[in-house]
Amino acid sequence: MHISEGVLSPAILIGGAVVTMAGVAIGLKKVDNENIPKMGILSAAFFVASLVHVPVGPSSVHLILNGLLGLILGWKAFPAILVALALQALLFQFGGITTLGVNTMNMALPAVICYYLFGWGVKSGIKQRVFITAAFASGFCAVLVSSILVGFSLYLTGEAFLPAAKLIVAAHLPVMIIEGIVTAACILFLKKVRPELLEEINV
Amino acid sequence: MFKKYYTGNRFYFLSFILLMLPQTFYNQPAFAHKVTIFAWVEGDTIYTQSKFSKGRKAKGALVTVFDMEGNRLLEGTTDEKGECSFKIPQKTGLKVVLKASMGHMAEWKIPVEEIAAAQASQNKMPEAGGPTCFQREEIRRLIDESLDQKLSPIINMLANCQDRGPGISEVMGGIGYIFGLVGVALYFANRRKKL
Repeated sequence: MHISEGVLSPAILIGGAVVTMAGVAIGLKKVDNENIPKMGILSAAFFVASLVHVPVGPSSVHLILNGLLGLILGWKAFPAILVALALQALLFQFGGITTLGVNTMNMALPAVICYYLFGWGVKSGIKQRVFITAAFASGFCAVLVSSILVGFSLYLTGEAFLPAAKLIVAAHLPVMIIEGIVTAACILFLKKVRPELLEEINV
Repeated sequence: MFKKYYTGNRFYFLSFILLMLPQTFYNQPAFAHKVTIFAWVEGDTIYTQSKFSKGRKAKGALVTVFDMEGNRLLEGTTDEKGECSFKIPQKTGLKVVLKASMGHMAEWKIPVEEIAAAQASQNKMPEAGGPTCFQREEIRRLIDESLDQKLSPIINMLANCQDRGPGISEVMGGIGYIFGLVGVALYFANRRKKL
């Protein structure tokens, strides 16, 4: 889902960069000393997740983990994802420096959306079944919304929206399910070992 | 404790398997997050090879050829093997741009010298038609042909080298970089607190 350099028109690149800057500013405002290490660890997880290929069907796509980041970090997912995407662009040549703004927006905005949609479901005192479903839905929906946003970015540059979006969503279907499972597993694990991490969720 | 989750887990596992099944029947162009194109000249033809990271061929992707000023010269699509070949459209430097699905793009530049060198060996017509001259041309052509044949595995190998996935050093470097940033951020955060 990393959009390469030279595909998008300058207007979209600038638009994406502006949205990303706003998101990063909001995210950085919410940072305090305690959650800096947390952001670092999740940023590193996001950075490495792109190397985990999901070899289902003829297509090969990779994990994204933006649902997990969104659920735990909220707006702080913006700076965390920006750093990880910048390093992916520099070290792996995934995406590019000029498309960094758009790519960050496409990954981090769904994360924030999922935080507000499903954050309530992973607090303490919520039934196990609801808890797991909310975590799964967060991982699933983050990738779904990301796919649609990528399709939309391509559409604004002139590609037909429906075929592009359909292709991306269909290709990421296995990733969505795996992301849902991974997110649910991670959140369940965190609830057992570090329940205070989830207490910060404030929606 | 295990029993309590069992029904839930089984439900997710089953839905996972069910949703996975259709994937195996999809026949879409393969893709990942990076695409590369590699082009070389043989005689009067330019060959290109395109693939995604992890070596999957880019099938049915659009290949566009530009000259150095950015004028579009011709277009083609890659075949089943991710290859696409065409006659040299003009004797200037060329830029081959590959556009695969989902916003993936790559380019490869062919310098004018490479094309000139390949053309020079092709286009030398026998002058004045003497038998010796013809033999020399024939020999030259044969050498060129066998060289092309002998070199093609090496060219293929080079194309493969182009597409080396990120190694352990890049991964470790990236993770280290992030932890370094965390350290810097904590340093400034602590200093702010002390002041």
